[in-house]
Amino acid sequence: MSVSISDQLIAVLPRMRRFARGLTGSAVEADDLVQAACERALTRAHQFQEGTRFDSWMFRIVQTVWIDQLRARDTRREEAEEEGVHLGTDEPGRRVEARLALEEVRNALQDLPLEQRAALMLVTVDGLSYKEAAEIAEVPVGTIMSRLARARVALQAKLDAGRGLRRSTENVKADG
Amino acid sequence: MSKPTDERLIAYLDGELEDGERAEIAHWLEQDPELRDRAAALSESAAQLRAAFDEVLREPVPERLMAAAHGPAAAGATVVDLAAAREQRARPRTREHRWWVAPAAAAAIAGLIVGIGISKSLLPEQPTVTGNTSGTGEPSANFVQNIPGYYLHYATAASSEGTSFDKLPQNFRVPDLKPWGLEYRGARFVMVEGHEAMQLFYRTDNKALGPVMVMVGDAPGIDERPRFKHVDDGDVNVWSWRSHGHTYAVAGTANMGYLWNIQNDLAYQFDGI
Repeated sequence: MSVSISDQLIAVLPRMRRFARGLTGSAVEADDLVQAACERALTRAHQFQEGTRFDSWMFRIVQTVWIDQLRARDTRREEAEEEGVHLGTDEPGRRVEARLALEEVRNALQDLPLEQRAALMLVTVDGLSYKEAAEIAEVPVGTIMSRLARARVALQAKLDAGRGLRRSTENVKADG
Repeated sequence: MSKPTDERLIAYLDGELEDGERAEIAHWLEQDPELRDRAAALSESAAQLRAAFDEVLREPVPERLMAAAHGPAAAGATVVDLAAAREQRARPRTREHRWWVAPAAAAAIAGLIVGIGISKSLLPEQPTVTGNTSGTGEPSANFVQNIPGYYLHYATAASSEGTSFDKLPQNFRVPDLKPWGLEYRGARFVMVEGHEAMQLFYRTDNKALGPVMVMVGDAPGIDERPRFKHVDDGDVNVWSWRSHGHTYAVAGTANMGYLWNIQNDLAYQFDGI
């Protein structure tokens, strides 16, 4: 028995939200993007080829819709509306540090070009193969490989720089 | 073979190389401490990246996305208009959540209830029980249909430590379900039928009962008496009702009678709130 497209959409919603979060850098915009992608998928359900991966098809739609939106409108982030992590003052110190570290990683990702962010989210975060990511991005496997390498190296450099800055600050505080 | 480039090293770490090249890079890693450090650093940053986004998977999927996935053709589905939603988000939070503030009228009703205790006389004599059906035609049908999905995806996750929740408005009083062995864990905001709603998560050490999820939303319209729904997939039971302009539901894997008692208690407490 074939599964309805709505059921498949619901099953893949959490991963779509994660992918969209990586592309947009905003929880609100990510959900708007996923909603738009769902609507597009339902209107173009006839284009989905049975026997192919539904999640890959949806990732491609999410990315396409996002690129369309970037082209069509001002991409200024609605930072004031950002529904990010709430850092409660009573949160234990180690958890706050861990959250800040993760926030730093997310911020570093947003500094990368869109195509590199997409490659990282698909392969490194979602665990797709290079071939699957290449099909979603509609580029050769070699292109995905080089995008990933540039992205991983750049991300590594940004995180190293952040750690170095923190160490310097801590040393200054300790010396003072 | 010359020393592997970052691109080949990353492809190796991602398991994307053929056997021959993989063996060559493994050999390099054995011989070259600097390359090993580089590989370790790249692996660590990849793990951090995964961790930074994995929490999204544990978040409740907003109601509007569930509705969007069902499509406009689904019975009773409410797909939020994006432009309207953005406009709504731009408004101050205090306006959106003003219904959480106990109004004078509700306080008056609560005054009448105090002293009666948890009484079935406050509720219909015979609750309506429906089977595992969809599209009942009732105003809350779509709302109820989505609840088992929410419950299965998030109530269990919410029982574990480390789950993040939304901040409740200061004036919102969380229903106390401790008499039922349920400990309040936290809340998440979602969209129900185009209105902001709240999921409240409770956990229990009694695995036979499992966690319980309570949903509360704004729902202008007529009151509805409690309705029961059982969903075979995941064995989730749901009681839902509407009262005084709000829609409520309680869901869990506990049996119908146990949840009915909790529903009674919630109806009493929410009317008081």
